[in-house]
Amino acid sequence: MSTSNSSALPGPGSAHARMATTIHIVSLLRFLAPIVAMLLVWEFCVRTGLANAAILPSPSMILVRGAELLGFSHADHSPLISHILYSLVRAMSAFILGCMVAIPLGFLLGLNAFAYRWVSPIISLMLPLPALAWTPIFLVIMGQSEATIVWVCFLGAVFPILYATIQGVRSITKQSLWVVRSMGARRRDIFFKVLLPGSLPALMAGLKLGMAHSWRTLVAAEMMAALSSGVGFMIFSARTYMDVSTMFVGIVVLAVIGMTIEHGLFGPLEKMTVRRWHNTGRVGGSR
Amino acid sequence: MSIDVHSARPANPISLRRIFDSIQPMIAIAIPLLIWEAAGRMGWINTFLFPPPSQIAHTIWVQAGPNGHPPGAILMHVGRSLYRFLSGLALAIVIGTAVGIAIGMTRWGRLIFTPLISAIMPVPTLAWTPILLLLVGLDDRTTIIIVFIAASFEVIYTIVVGIEMMSVKVFWVARSMGASRQQIFWKVIIPGILPYLITGTRLGSGFAWRALIGAEMLAASSYGLGFMIYDASEYMSMDMIYGGIALVALLGYFIENVLIGRLEAATTSKWGVNVER
Repeated sequence: MSTSNSSALPGPGSAHARMATTIHIVSLLRFLAPIVAMLLVWEFCVRTGLANAAILPSPSMILVRGAELLGFSHADHSPLISHILYSLVRAMSAFILGCMVAIPLGFLLGLNAFAYRWVSPIISLMLPLPALAWTPIFLVIMGQSEATIVWVCFLGAVFPILYATIQGVRSITKQSLWVVRSMGARRRDIFFKVLLPGSLPALMAGLKLGMAHSWRTLVAAEMMAALSSGVGFMIFSARTYMDVSTMFVGIVVLAVIGMTIEHGLFGPLEKMTVRRWHNTGRVGGSR
Repeated sequence: MSIDVHSARPANPISLRRIFDSIQPMIAIAIPLLIWEAAGRMGWINTFLFPPPSQIAHTIWVQAGPNGHPPGAILMHVGRSLYRFLSGLALAIVIGTAVGIAIGMTRWGRLIFTPLISAIMPVPTLAWTPILLLLVGLDDRTTIIIVFIAASFEVIYTIVVGIEMMSVKVFWVARSMGASRQQIFWKVIIPGILPYLITGTRLGSGFAWRALIGAEMLAASSYGLGFMIYDASEYMSMDMIYGGIALVALLGYFIENVLIGRLEAATTSKWGVNVER
Protein backbone atom coordinates (compact mmCIF):
# COMPACT_ATOMS: atom_id res chain seq x y z
CA MET A 1 0.00 0.00 0.00
CA SER A 2 2.74 2.43 0.92
CA THR A 3 4.56 1.85 -2.36
CA SER A 4 1.51 2.55 -4.53
CA ASN A 5 0.62 5.69 -2.56
CA SER A 6 4.08 7.11 -2.31
CA SER A 7 4.03 8.60 -5.80
CA ALA A 8 0.79 10.44 -5.15
CA LEU A 9 1.43 11.48 -1.57
CA PRO A 10 5.18 11.46 -1.05
CA GLY A 11 5.19 12.93 2.50
CA PRO A 12 2.95 10.66 4.57
CA GLY A 13 3.67 7.63 2.42
CA SER A 14 7.39 7.57 3.08
CA ALA A 15 6.84 8.35 6.75
CA HIS A 16 4.52 5.36 6.89
CA ALA A 17 7.09 3.16 5.23
CA ARG A 18 9.78 4.36 7.61
CA MET A 19 7.51 3.69 10.54
CA ALA A 20 6.80 0.18 9.25
CA THR A 21 10.49 -0.64 8.87
CA THR A 22 11.18 0.75 12.36
CA ILE A 23 8.51 -1.48 13.85
CA HIS A 24 9.93 -4.37 11.88
CA ILE A 25 13.45 -3.77 13.20
CA VAL A 26 12.24 -3.33 16.77
CA SER A 27 10.33 -6.62 16.69
CA LEU A 28 13.32 -8.37 15.16
CA LEU A 29 15.60 -7.00 17.90
CA ARG A 30 13.09 -8.02 20.52
CA PHE A 31 13.08 -11.52 19.04
CA LEU A 32 16.86 -11.78 18.96
CA ALA A 33 17.53 -10.21 22.38
CA PRO A 34 16.81 -13.30 24.55
CA ILE A 35 18.78 -15.56 22.22
CA VAL A 36 21.78 -13.23 22.26
CA ALA A 37 21.46 -12.85 26.04
CA MET A 38 21.48 -16.61 26.50
CA LEU A 39 24.52 -16.98 24.26
CA LEU A 40 26.32 -14.27 26.25
CA VAL A 41 25.56 -15.98 29.56
CA TRP A 42 26.79 -19.24 28.07
CA GLU A 43 29.98 -17.59 26.81
CA PHE A 44 30.51 -15.97 30.21
CA CYS A 45 30.06 -19.29 32.04
CA VAL A 46 32.63 -21.00 29.85
CA ARG A 47 35.14 -18.13 29.98
CA THR A 48 35.00 -17.91 33.76
CA GLY A 49 35.33 -21.65 34.09
CA LEU A 50 31.87 -22.27 35.53
CA ALA A 51 31.31 -24.79 32.71
CA ASN A 52 33.96 -27.16 31.44
CA ALA A 53 34.97 -25.98 27.99
CA ALA A 54 35.94 -29.51 26.94
CA ILE A 55 32.37 -30.72 27.44
CA LEU A 56 30.43 -27.53 26.79
CA PRO A 57 32.28 -25.25 24.37
CA SER A 58 31.43 -21.57 24.26
CA PRO A 59 29.43 -20.08 21.35
CA SER A 60 32.56 -18.36 20.03
CA MET A 61 34.40 -21.68 19.88
CA ILE A 62 31.44 -23.22 18.05
CA LEU A 63 31.45 -20.32 15.61
CA VAL A 64 35.17 -20.78 14.91
CA ARG A 65 34.65 -24.51 14.40
CA GLY A 66 31.74 -23.79 12.05
CA ALA A 67 33.90 -21.51 9.93
CA GLU A 68 36.63 -24.15 9.91
CA LEU A 69 34.20 -26.83 8.74
CA LEU A 70 32.80 -24.54 6.09
CA GLY A 71 36.33 -24.49 4.75
CA PHE A 72 37.09 -20.81 4.28
CA SER A 73 40.75 -21.69 4.52
CA HIS A 74 40.83 -24.06 1.54
CA ALA A 75 38.21 -23.06 -0.95
CA ASP A 76 37.99 -26.23 -3.02
CA HIS A 77 36.87 -28.54 -0.23
CA SER A 78 34.23 -27.85 2.40
CA PRO A 79 33.30 -30.81 4.59
CA LEU A 80 30.23 -29.13 6.07
CA ILE A 81 28.70 -28.28 2.69
CA SER A 82 29.19 -31.82 1.41
CA HIS A 83 27.59 -33.26 4.57
CA ILE A 84 24.64 -30.94 4.10
CA LEU A 85 24.27 -31.83 0.42
CA TYR A 86 24.35 -35.55 1.17
CA SER A 87 21.68 -35.14 3.83
CA LEU A 88 19.47 -32.99 1.63
CA VAL A 89 19.68 -35.41 -1.30
CA ARG A 90 18.72 -38.34 0.97
CA ALA A 91 15.83 -36.48 2.60
CA MET A 92 14.51 -35.20 -0.70
CA SER A 93 14.70 -38.54 -2.47
CA ALA A 94 12.88 -40.21 0.42
CA PHE A 95 10.28 -37.47 0.32
CA ILE A 96 9.77 -37.68 -3.44
CA LEU A 97 9.55 -41.47 -3.23
CA GLY A 98 6.99 -41.06 -0.45
CA CYS A 99 4.92 -38.68 -2.57
CA MET A 100 5.02 -41.03 -5.54
CA VAL A 101 3.61 -43.84 -3.45
CA ALA A 102 1.34 -41.97 -1.04
CA ILE A 103 -0.50 -39.57 -3.32
CA PRO A 104 -1.83 -42.09 -5.90
CA LEU A 105 -2.60 -44.58 -3.14
CA GLY A 106 -4.29 -41.83 -1.12
CA PHE A 107 -6.53 -40.90 -4.05
CA LEU A 108 -7.41 -44.54 -4.61
CA LEU A 109 -8.29 -45.12 -0.96
CA GLY A 110 -10.11 -41.81 -0.69
CA LEU A 111 -12.30 -42.53 -3.69
CA ASN A 112 -12.92 -46.23 -3.23
CA ALA A 113 -14.93 -46.93 -0.08
CA PHE A 114 -14.27 -50.66 -0.24
CA ALA A 115 -10.49 -50.27 -0.40
CA TYR A 116 -10.65 -47.67 2.35
CA ARG A 117 -12.53 -50.00 4.68
CA TRP A 118 -9.98 -52.75 4.27
CA VAL A 119 -6.76 -50.74 4.22
CA SER A 120 -7.39 -47.96 6.75
CA PRO A 121 -7.03 -50.22 9.84
CA ILE A 122 -3.54 -51.13 8.68
CA ILE A 123 -2.66 -47.48 8.09
CA SER A 124 -3.94 -46.42 11.49
CA LEU A 125 -1.72 -49.07 13.03
CA MET A 126 1.33 -47.92 11.06
CA LEU A 127 0.80 -44.18 11.53
CA PRO A 128 1.91 -43.91 15.19
CA LEU A 129 4.84 -46.28 14.67
CA PRO A 130 8.17 -44.45 14.67
CA ALA A 131 9.85 -44.93 11.29
CA LEU A 132 13.15 -45.41 13.08
CA ALA A 133 11.88 -48.68 14.52
CA TRP A 134 12.23 -50.15 11.01
CA THR A 135 15.93 -49.33 10.89
CA PRO A 136 17.11 -52.69 12.35
CA ILE A 137 15.25 -54.62 9.66
CA PHE A 138 16.85 -52.59 6.89
CA LEU A 139 20.20 -52.85 8.63
CA VAL A 140 19.95 -56.63 8.49
CA ILE A 141 18.72 -56.73 4.89
CA MET A 142 20.85 -53.99 3.34
CA GLY A 143 23.52 -53.17 5.90
CA GLN A 144 24.79 -49.67 6.57
CA SER A 145 24.06 -48.03 3.26
CA GLU A 146 22.34 -45.22 1.42
CA ALA A 147 19.38 -47.51 0.72
CA THR A 148 18.77 -48.13 4.43
CA ILE A 149 18.70 -44.42 5.21
CA VAL A 150 16.44 -43.56 2.29
CA TRP A 151 14.00 -46.40 3.03
CA VAL A 152 13.69 -45.45 6.69
CA CYS A 153 13.06 -41.80 5.78
CA PHE A 154 10.61 -42.94 3.11
CA LEU A 155 8.61 -44.77 5.77
CA GLY A 156 8.73 -41.63 7.88
CA ALA A 157 7.35 -39.49 5.06
CA VAL A 158 4.85 -41.83 3.41
CA PHE A 159 2.26 -42.31 6.16
CA PRO A 160 1.57 -38.64 7.00
CA ILE A 161 1.21 -37.86 3.28
CA LEU A 162 -1.03 -40.88 2.70
CA TYR A 163 -3.22 -40.05 5.66
CA ALA A 164 -3.56 -36.40 4.65
CA THR A 165 -4.37 -37.27 1.03
CA ILE A 166 -7.11 -39.65 2.11
CA GLN A 167 -8.57 -37.06 4.47
CA GLY A 168 -8.41 -34.42 1.75
CA VAL A 169 -10.13 -36.55 -0.88
CA ARG A 170 -12.78 -37.78 1.53
CA SER A 171 -13.56 -34.22 2.63
CA ILE A 172 -14.83 -33.38 -0.86
CA THR A 173 -18.59 -33.64 -0.74
CA LYS A 174 -20.36 -36.12 -2.97
CA GLN A 175 -22.63 -33.33 -4.22
CA SER A 176 -19.87 -31.41 -5.91
CA LEU A 177 -18.85 -34.59 -7.76
CA TRP A 178 -22.47 -35.23 -8.78
CA VAL A 179 -22.89 -31.67 -10.00
CA VAL A 180 -19.83 -31.78 -12.19
CA ARG A 181 -20.64 -35.23 -13.47
CA SER A 182 -24.23 -34.30 -14.29
CA MET A 183 -22.92 -31.39 -16.30
CA GLY A 184 -20.98 -33.85 -18.39
CA ALA A 185 -17.42 -33.43 -17.12
CA ARG A 186 -14.87 -35.97 -18.25
CA ARG A 187 -12.87 -38.04 -15.78
CA ARG A 188 -9.84 -35.88 -16.39
CA ASP A 189 -11.78 -32.71 -15.65
CA ILE A 190 -13.18 -34.20 -12.46
CA PHE A 191 -9.68 -34.98 -11.30
CA PHE A 192 -8.06 -31.68 -12.17
CA LYS A 193 -10.97 -29.35 -11.47
CA VAL A 194 -12.61 -30.97 -8.44
CA LEU A 195 -10.57 -33.64 -6.69
CA LEU A 196 -7.15 -32.04 -6.86
CA PRO A 197 -8.12 -28.50 -5.82
CA GLY A 198 -10.54 -29.83 -3.21
CA SER A 199 -8.00 -31.99 -1.49
CA LEU A 200 -5.16 -29.49 -1.82
CA PRO A 201 -5.26 -27.82 1.62
CA ALA A 202 -5.08 -31.19 3.37
CA LEU A 203 -2.55 -32.45 0.84
CA MET A 204 -0.24 -29.48 1.39
CA ALA A 205 -0.43 -29.97 5.15
CA GLY A 206 0.45 -33.62 4.61
CA LEU A 207 3.39 -32.81 2.35
CA LYS A 208 4.71 -30.39 4.94
CA LEU A 209 4.39 -32.96 7.68
CA GLY A 210 5.90 -35.65 5.46
CA MET A 211 8.94 -33.52 4.69
CA ALA A 212 9.36 -32.65 8.37
CA HIS A 213 9.16 -36.32 9.33
CA SER A 214 11.58 -37.27 6.58
CA TRP A 215 14.07 -34.66 7.77
CA ARG A 216 13.73 -35.52 11.46
CA THR A 217 14.03 -39.23 10.81
CA LEU A 218 17.01 -38.70 8.54
CA VAL A 219 19.26 -37.35 11.27
CA ALA A 220 18.80 -40.37 13.51
CA ALA A 221 18.95 -42.78 10.57
CA GLU A 222 22.26 -41.24 9.50
CA MET A 223 23.59 -41.70 13.00
CA MET A 224 22.85 -45.42 12.78
CA ALA A 225 23.40 -46.28 9.14
CA ALA A 226 25.59 -43.70 7.40
CA LEU A 227 29.12 -44.72 6.55
CA SER A 228 30.88 -41.46 5.87
CA SER A 229 28.61 -38.52 5.18
CA GLY A 230 25.56 -36.55 6.24
CA VAL A 231 24.90 -34.08 9.04
CA GLY A 232 23.68 -36.83 11.36
CA PHE A 233 26.85 -38.80 10.71
CA MET A 234 28.94 -35.70 11.34
CA ILE A 235 27.30 -35.16 14.75
CA PHE A 236 27.51 -38.79 15.77
CA SER A 237 31.07 -39.39 14.63
CA ALA A 238 32.23 -36.25 16.46
CA ARG A 239 31.27 -38.10 19.64
CA THR A 240 34.23 -40.42 19.19
CA TYR A 241 36.64 -37.51 19.36
CA MET A 242 34.68 -35.69 22.09
CA ASP A 243 34.39 -32.88 19.55
CA VAL A 244 31.36 -31.12 21.02
CA SER A 245 31.85 -27.97 18.94
CA THR A 246 31.23 -29.93 15.75
CA MET A 247 28.08 -31.39 17.29
CA PHE A 248 26.75 -27.94 18.06
CA VAL A 249 27.62 -26.76 14.54
CA GLY A 250 25.55 -29.70 13.30
CA ILE A 251 22.63 -28.77 15.55
CA VAL A 252 22.65 -25.17 14.31
CA VAL A 253 22.78 -26.40 10.70
CA LEU A 254 19.84 -28.74 11.34
CA ALA A 255 17.79 -25.95 12.89
CA VAL A 256 18.51 -23.57 10.02
CA ILE A 257 17.70 -26.15 7.34
CA GLY A 258 14.54 -27.26 9.16
CA MET A 259 13.33 -23.67 9.35
CA THR A 260 14.23 -23.02 5.71
CA ILE A 261 12.29 -26.08 4.55
CA GLU A 262 9.23 -25.11 6.53
CA HIS A 263 9.09 -21.38 5.91
CA GLY A 264 11.14 -20.94 2.76
CA LEU A 265 9.87 -23.91 0.77
CA PHE A 266 6.41 -24.82 1.99
CA GLY A 267 5.26 -21.35 3.05
CA PRO A 268 5.30 -19.89 -0.49
CA LEU A 269 4.19 -23.17 -2.06
CA GLU A 270 1.18 -23.33 0.23
CA LYS A 271 0.29 -19.73 -0.50
CA MET A 272 0.68 -20.19 -4.23
CA THR A 273 -1.37 -23.34 -4.71
CA VAL A 274 -4.04 -23.06 -2.05
CA ARG A 275 -4.71 -19.41 -2.75
CA ARG A 276 -4.81 -19.91 -6.49
CA TRP A 277 -7.50 -22.54 -6.39
CA HIS A 278 -9.37 -21.61 -3.29
CA ASN A 279 -10.03 -17.95 -3.93
CA THR A 280 -11.34 -18.50 -7.43
CA GLY A 281 -13.14 -21.79 -7.37
CA ARG A 282 -14.49 -22.42 -3.89
CA VAL A 283 -14.73 -26.05 -4.84
CA GLY A 284 -16.48 -28.38 -2.46
CA GLY A 285 -16.64 -28.16 1.27
CA SER A 286 -13.01 -28.58 2.03
CA ARG A 287 -13.55 -28.61 5.78
CA MET B 1 -19.95 -43.05 4.40
CA SER B 2 -21.00 -46.37 3.06
CA ILE B 3 -22.55 -47.31 6.41
CA ASP B 4 -25.18 -44.60 6.07
CA VAL B 5 -26.85 -46.50 3.29
CA HIS B 6 -27.45 -49.46 5.54
CA SER B 7 -28.56 -47.54 8.62
CA ALA B 8 -31.42 -46.02 6.63
CA ARG B 9 -33.34 -49.29 6.59
CA PRO B 10 -34.76 -50.46 9.94
CA ALA B 11 -32.66 -53.23 11.41
CA ASN B 12 -32.73 -55.19 14.63
CA PRO B 13 -29.97 -54.03 17.00
CA ILE B 14 -27.94 -57.22 16.99
CA SER B 15 -27.64 -58.10 13.36
CA LEU B 16 -24.88 -60.00 11.63
CA ARG B 17 -24.11 -56.86 9.72
CA ARG B 18 -23.31 -54.95 12.90
CA ILE B 19 -21.14 -57.70 14.30
CA PHE B 20 -19.25 -57.80 11.05
CA ASP B 21 -18.81 -54.02 11.02
CA SER B 22 -17.39 -54.01 14.52
CA ILE B 23 -14.80 -56.70 13.93
CA GLN B 24 -14.06 -55.72 10.32
CA PRO B 25 -10.92 -53.65 11.22
CA MET B 26 -9.46 -56.64 13.00
CA ILE B 27 -10.14 -58.86 10.02
CA ALA B 28 -8.48 -56.27 7.80
CA ILE B 29 -5.34 -56.50 9.92
CA ALA B 30 -5.51 -60.29 10.22
CA ILE B 31 -5.71 -61.00 6.48
CA PRO B 32 -2.23 -59.72 5.57
CA LEU B 33 -0.81 -61.56 8.58
CA LEU B 34 -2.46 -64.79 7.43
CA ILE B 35 -1.11 -64.33 3.91
CA TRP B 36 2.35 -63.71 5.40
CA GLU B 37 2.02 -66.85 7.52
CA ALA B 38 0.88 -68.94 4.58
CA ALA B 39 3.62 -67.60 2.32
CA GLY B 40 6.18 -68.38 4.99
CA ARG B 41 4.91 -71.91 5.52
CA MET B 42 4.77 -72.59 1.79
CA GLY B 43 8.29 -71.30 1.36
CA TRP B 44 7.39 -68.53 -1.07
CA ILE B 45 9.32 -65.96 0.93
CA ASN B 46 12.63 -66.03 2.71
CA THR B 47 11.72 -67.09 6.25
CA PHE B 48 15.01 -65.83 7.61
CA LEU B 49 14.25 -62.25 6.60
CA PHE B 50 10.49 -62.57 6.98
CA PRO B 51 9.75 -65.11 9.70
CA PRO B 52 6.04 -66.04 9.83
CA PRO B 53 3.92 -64.22 12.49
CA SER B 54 3.41 -67.42 14.50
CA GLN B 55 7.16 -67.79 14.94
CA ILE B 56 7.48 -64.14 15.97
CA ALA B 57 4.70 -64.51 18.52
CA HIS B 58 6.33 -67.67 19.84
CA THR B 59 9.71 -65.97 20.28
CA ILE B 60 8.13 -63.03 22.08
CA TRP B 61 6.16 -65.41 24.31
CA VAL B 62 9.26 -67.41 25.21
CA GLN B 63 11.35 -64.28 25.83
CA ALA B 64 8.64 -62.86 28.08
CA GLY B 65 8.54 -66.05 30.17
CA PRO B 66 10.99 -67.74 32.53
CA ASN B 67 12.92 -69.31 29.64
CA GLY B 68 13.86 -65.95 28.15
CA HIS B 69 17.37 -64.63 27.99
CA PRO B 70 17.46 -63.20 30.68
CA PRO B 71 14.20 -64.53 32.18
CA GLY B 72 11.31 -62.16 31.49
CA ALA B 73 13.46 -60.14 29.08
CA ILE B 74 10.53 -58.63 27.19
CA LEU B 75 8.84 -57.48 30.38
CA MET B 76 12.04 -55.81 31.52
CA HIS B 77 12.49 -54.08 28.15
CA VAL B 78 8.91 -52.83 28.20
CA GLY B 79 9.12 -51.80 31.85
CA ARG B 80 12.34 -49.86 31.33
CA SER B 81 10.94 -48.09 28.26
CA LEU B 82 7.77 -47.15 30.12
CA TYR B 83 9.79 -45.92 33.10
CA ARG B 84 11.86 -43.64 30.87
CA PHE B 85 8.80 -42.53 28.94
CA LEU B 86 6.72 -41.66 32.00
CA SER B 87 9.57 -39.88 33.79
CA GLY B 88 10.28 -37.73 30.74
CA LEU B 89 6.59 -37.04 30.22
CA ALA B 90 6.13 -36.04 33.87
CA LEU B 91 9.06 -33.63 33.57
CA ALA B 92 7.57 -32.21 30.37
CA ILE B 93 4.18 -31.72 32.03
CA VAL B 94 5.60 -29.90 35.06
CA ILE B 95 8.14 -27.70 33.26
CA GLY B 96 5.98 -27.29 30.14
CA THR B 97 3.04 -26.08 32.21
CA ALA B 98 5.21 -23.59 34.08
CA VAL B 99 6.71 -22.21 30.86
CA GLY B 100 3.31 -22.22 29.13
CA ILE B 101 1.72 -20.22 31.94
CA ALA B 102 4.67 -17.81 31.95
CA ILE B 103 4.23 -17.23 28.21
CA GLY B 104 0.47 -16.98 28.35
CA MET B 105 0.12 -14.82 31.44
CA THR B 106 3.17 -12.58 31.65
CA ARG B 107 4.81 -10.11 29.32
CA TRP B 108 8.37 -11.03 30.25
CA GLY B 109 7.63 -14.71 29.80
CA ARG B 110 6.47 -14.12 26.25
CA LEU B 111 9.44 -11.86 25.49
CA ILE B 112 12.01 -14.32 26.80
CA PHE B 113 10.67 -17.76 25.96
CA THR B 114 9.03 -17.32 22.55
CA PRO B 115 12.27 -16.58 20.65
CA LEU B 116 14.19 -19.28 22.52
CA ILE B 117 11.55 -21.88 21.79
CA SER B 118 11.24 -21.00 18.13
CA ALA B 119 15.02 -21.25 17.82
CA ILE B 120 15.25 -24.68 19.49
CA MET B 121 12.08 -26.26 18.12
CA PRO B 122 13.24 -26.89 14.51
CA VAL B 123 16.16 -29.04 15.73
CA PRO B 124 15.27 -32.73 15.37
CA THR B 125 15.00 -34.04 18.95
CA LEU B 126 17.28 -36.99 18.38
CA ALA B 127 20.11 -34.70 17.25
CA TRP B 128 20.60 -33.83 20.92
CA THR B 129 21.38 -37.45 21.77
CA PRO B 130 25.17 -37.41 21.09
CA ILE B 131 25.59 -34.16 23.00
CA LEU B 132 23.60 -35.48 25.94
CA LEU B 133 25.64 -38.66 25.85
CA LEU B 134 28.74 -36.59 26.48
CA LEU B 135 27.17 -34.14 28.92
CA VAL B 136 25.12 -36.58 30.96
CA GLY B 137 26.49 -40.01 30.19
CA LEU B 138 25.24 -43.32 28.94
CA ASP B 139 22.36 -43.90 31.32
CA ASP B 140 18.64 -43.38 31.75
CA ARG B 141 18.99 -39.63 32.16
CA THR B 142 19.90 -39.14 28.49
CA THR B 143 16.79 -40.91 27.22
CA ILE B 144 14.60 -39.21 29.82
CA ILE B 145 15.83 -35.78 28.72
CA ILE B 146 15.15 -36.69 25.08
CA VAL B 147 11.59 -37.68 25.97
CA PHE B 148 11.25 -34.44 27.90
CA ILE B 149 12.42 -32.33 24.94
CA ALA B 150 10.13 -34.17 22.52
CA ALA B 151 7.01 -33.81 24.66
CA SER B 152 7.45 -30.35 26.17
CA PHE B 153 6.97 -28.23 23.03
CA GLU B 154 3.51 -29.65 22.45
CA VAL B 155 2.56 -29.15 26.11
CA ILE B 156 3.77 -25.54 26.08
CA TYR B 157 2.00 -24.79 22.82
CA THR B 158 -1.39 -26.18 23.88
CA ILE B 159 -1.25 -24.41 27.24
CA VAL B 160 -0.51 -21.07 25.59
CA VAL B 161 -3.44 -21.67 23.22
CA GLY B 162 -5.61 -22.67 26.18
CA ILE B 163 -4.85 -19.47 28.05
CA GLU B 164 -5.50 -17.39 24.95
CA MET B 165 -8.82 -19.18 24.47
CA MET B 166 -9.98 -18.41 27.99
CA SER B 167 -12.70 -15.83 28.10
CA VAL B 168 -11.72 -12.48 29.58
CA LYS B 169 -15.17 -12.37 31.21
CA VAL B 170 -14.17 -15.16 33.56
CA PHE B 171 -11.37 -12.98 34.89
CA TRP B 172 -13.70 -9.99 35.19
CA VAL B 173 -16.19 -12.04 37.15
CA ALA B 174 -13.53 -13.40 39.48
CA ARG B 175 -11.95 -10.00 39.97
CA SER B 176 -15.23 -8.15 40.48
CA MET B 177 -16.08 -10.58 43.23
CA GLY B 178 -12.83 -9.65 44.93
CA ALA B 179 -10.60 -12.57 44.11
CA SER B 180 -6.93 -12.08 44.86
CA ARG B 181 -4.22 -12.77 42.27
CA GLN B 182 -3.45 -16.03 43.96
CA GLN B 183 -7.09 -17.08 43.99
CA ILE B 184 -7.44 -16.22 40.30
CA PHE B 185 -4.42 -18.35 39.55
CA TRP B 186 -5.51 -21.43 41.50
CA LYS B 187 -9.28 -21.23 41.01
CA VAL B 188 -9.56 -19.83 37.48
CA ILE B 189 -6.41 -20.39 35.46
CA ILE B 190 -5.39 -23.84 36.67
CA PRO B 191 -8.83 -25.49 36.17
CA GLY B 192 -9.19 -23.57 32.90
CA ILE B 193 -6.00 -24.94 31.35
CA LEU B 194 -6.34 -28.48 32.69
CA PRO B 195 -8.27 -29.84 29.68
CA TYR B 196 -5.72 -28.25 27.35
CA LEU B 197 -2.92 -29.73 29.41
CA ILE B 198 -4.38 -33.19 28.88
CA THR B 199 -4.73 -32.61 25.14
CA GLY B 200 -1.17 -31.31 25.00
CA THR B 201 0.04 -34.33 26.93
CA ARG B 202 -1.68 -36.67 24.49
CA LEU B 203 -0.14 -34.95 21.46
CA GLY B 204 3.23 -34.72 23.16
CA SER B 205 3.17 -38.37 24.18
CA GLY B 206 3.08 -39.38 20.50
CA PHE B 207 6.25 -37.42 19.76
CA ALA B 208 7.83 -38.56 22.99
CA TRP B 209 7.24 -42.25 22.29
CA ARG B 210 8.82 -41.96 18.84
CA ALA B 211 11.79 -40.05 20.21
CA LEU B 212 12.21 -42.56 23.04
CA ILE B 213 12.55 -45.50 20.68
CA GLY B 214 15.11 -43.63 18.58
CA ALA B 215 17.02 -42.47 21.64
CA GLU B 216 17.11 -45.98 23.05
CA MET B 217 18.57 -47.23 19.79
CA LEU B 218 21.29 -44.61 19.90
CA ALA B 219 21.96 -44.25 23.58
CA ALA B 220 20.65 -47.06 25.77
CA SER B 221 23.25 -49.35 27.24
CA SER B 222 20.80 -51.97 28.47
CA TYR B 223 17.07 -52.66 28.22
CA GLY B 224 14.34 -50.68 26.54
CA LEU B 225 12.38 -51.64 23.43
CA GLY B 226 14.54 -49.48 21.14
CA PHE B 227 17.68 -51.08 22.53
CA MET B 228 16.10 -54.51 22.14
CA ILE B 229 15.41 -54.17 18.41
CA TYR B 230 18.73 -52.50 17.68
CA ASP B 231 20.59 -55.15 19.63
CA ALA B 232 18.63 -57.86 17.83
CA SER B 233 19.75 -56.48 14.47
CA GLU B 234 23.35 -57.11 15.49
CA TYR B 235 22.53 -60.75 16.17
CA MET B 236 20.27 -60.83 13.10
CA SER B 237 17.42 -62.30 15.09
CA MET B 238 14.64 -61.09 12.86
CA ASP B 239 11.75 -62.39 14.97
CA MET B 240 12.90 -60.28 17.90
CA ILE B 241 13.00 -57.21 15.64
CA TYR B 242 9.53 -57.79 14.23
CA GLY B 243 8.16 -58.61 17.67
CA GLY B 244 9.74 -55.48 19.08
CA ILE B 245 8.26 -53.33 16.31
CA ALA B 246 4.83 -54.83 16.99
CA LEU B 247 5.22 -54.07 20.69
CA VAL B 248 6.30 -50.51 19.94
CA ALA B 249 3.23 -50.02 17.73
CA LEU B 250 0.81 -51.58 20.21
CA LEU B 251 2.19 -49.73 23.23
CA GLY B 252 2.27 -46.43 21.32
CA TYR B 253 -1.32 -46.91 20.27
CA PHE B 254 -2.31 -47.89 23.81
CA ILE B 255 -0.62 -44.89 25.43
CA GLU B 256 -1.94 -42.30 23.03
CA ASN B 257 -5.44 -43.53 22.37
CA VAL B 258 -6.45 -45.58 25.38
CA LEU B 259 -4.54 -44.26 28.39
CA ILE B 260 -4.51 -40.54 27.68
CA GLY B 261 -7.33 -40.64 25.12
CA ARG B 262 -9.77 -41.94 27.76
CA LEU B 263 -8.59 -39.31 30.21
CA GLU B 264 -9.09 -36.63 27.59
CA ALA B 265 -12.57 -37.82 26.68
CA ALA B 266 -13.57 -37.98 30.35
CA THR B 267 -12.31 -34.50 31.14
CA THR B 268 -13.66 -32.77 28.05
CA SER B 269 -17.13 -34.11 28.72
CA LYS B 270 -16.89 -33.05 32.36
CA TRP B 271 -15.41 -29.58 32.03
CA GLY B 272 -16.21 -28.87 28.40
CA VAL B 273 -13.33 -27.30 26.54
CA ASN B 274 -15.59 -25.87 23.88
CA VAL B 275 -17.95 -23.95 26.16
CA GLU B 276 -17.03 -20.35 25.59
CA ARG B 277 -14.32 -19.08 23.34
